[in-house]
Amino acid sequence: MNKELEHSFVTQLEANQNIVHKICRLYTNNSDAHNDLFQEITIQLWKAFPKFRGDSKFSTWMYRVALNTAITLYRKSKRTVKTQDFEGVSFKISAEAYDDTVEEQLKLMYSGVKSLNDIDKALVFLYLEDKSYREISETLGISEVNARVKMNRIKEKLRTILNP
Amino acid sequence: MDNLELLKKQWQSREQELPKLSYTDIHKMLLKKSSSIVKWIFLISIGELLFWTILAFFVPESSKAINDSIGLKTTFMVVNIVHYIIFAGFIYLFYKNYHSIKVTDTIKELMRSILNTRKTVKYFVFYNVGASILLMLAVNMFYFTKKDQLYKLMVQNYEGYGAIPQESFTSVFFISQLVISVVFVGLIILFYRVIYGILLKRLKRNYCELEKIEV
Repeated sequence: MNKELEHSFVTQLEANQNIVHKICRLYTNNSDAHNDLFQEITIQLWKAFPKFRGDSKFSTWMYRVALNTAITLYRKSKRTVKTQDFEGVSFKISAEAYDDTVEEQLKLMYSGVKSLNDIDKALVFLYLEDKSYREISETLGISEVNARVKMNRIKEKLRTILNP
Repeated sequence: MDNLELLKKQWQSREQELPKLSYTDIHKMLLKKSSSIVKWIFLISIGELLFWTILAFFVPESSKAINDSIGLKTTFMVVNIVHYIIFAGFIYLFYKNYHSIKVTDTIKELMRSILNTRKTVKYFVFYNVGASILLMLAVNMFYFTKKDQLYKLMVQNYEGYGAIPQESFTSVFFISQLVISVVFVGLIILFYRVIYGILLKRLKRNYCELEKIEV
């Protein structure tokens, strides 16, 4: 039984690992911290897995546990320096649309998102993942209206970062 | 186009650049130990419970003998019984709090339950420090009213006190009691500031951020 549970968990996490990696990228600045956070999220997911009833999609449930771990439970390691590591971040742009300035802007945008505080970052992350405001509000524990208002404010903030 | 929209469009296509862990990599992680904030708070809290329990055993026999003969035996027994009842109450609350921490709650609920847990531990410490101070004050006041008898008993039990004449005994004894208490309380407060300050700083900040959104 336990083996079965383990197998089903690891298989599903393996298939959905991108979600966790994206969160780790946003919330950490180097690969050590990235792996560290990934591991902590995996442990938290595994601990909560027996109570996962499958009434929501595995990935939806994952967003909540993973973000909770990144924001609430994870202790940032002391090594975390305030530099942003762009080497791992590049944006693939289709050949015809390729444009240096677009690539530049995307990088700048991403660094803008990374510089937001933990909560704003979670909002933007869910937004980029194309989640509805309803889902965003249910993950964070705030009302839908406030999630919308807050998101608009963040967009405004990011706009000023990009066009000072 | 809006830049965030642009980023959103590219967001999914970036996925092939993310690290890829194998089944075995992930499987191995299941055996690793968690190092989450909750676990640390839990371990430290257990340490606190142990600390206050063990401390009670470190009252030297001689000072017990003095208290017995000066007439505090029954008082101390009553104080101890009351203390252990309150103590048991705290352990119950403590257990209930940890049970309520669920990683599948919303971010806000989770933060609230962690902060609540922390609050219980804080009250436990306040209670302990407060009760210690009160007890110390009461006992010393009682000692003061019986200082002649106390001097005789002290000389009987500790040889060193024989060298101190009775006139200066009162000031030496009570000043040293005071200094020890102040240092003790100071150290405990410092300890909590440092330990929980480190653990909860980010959590508190994020919680306030969420509260702000709701206003």
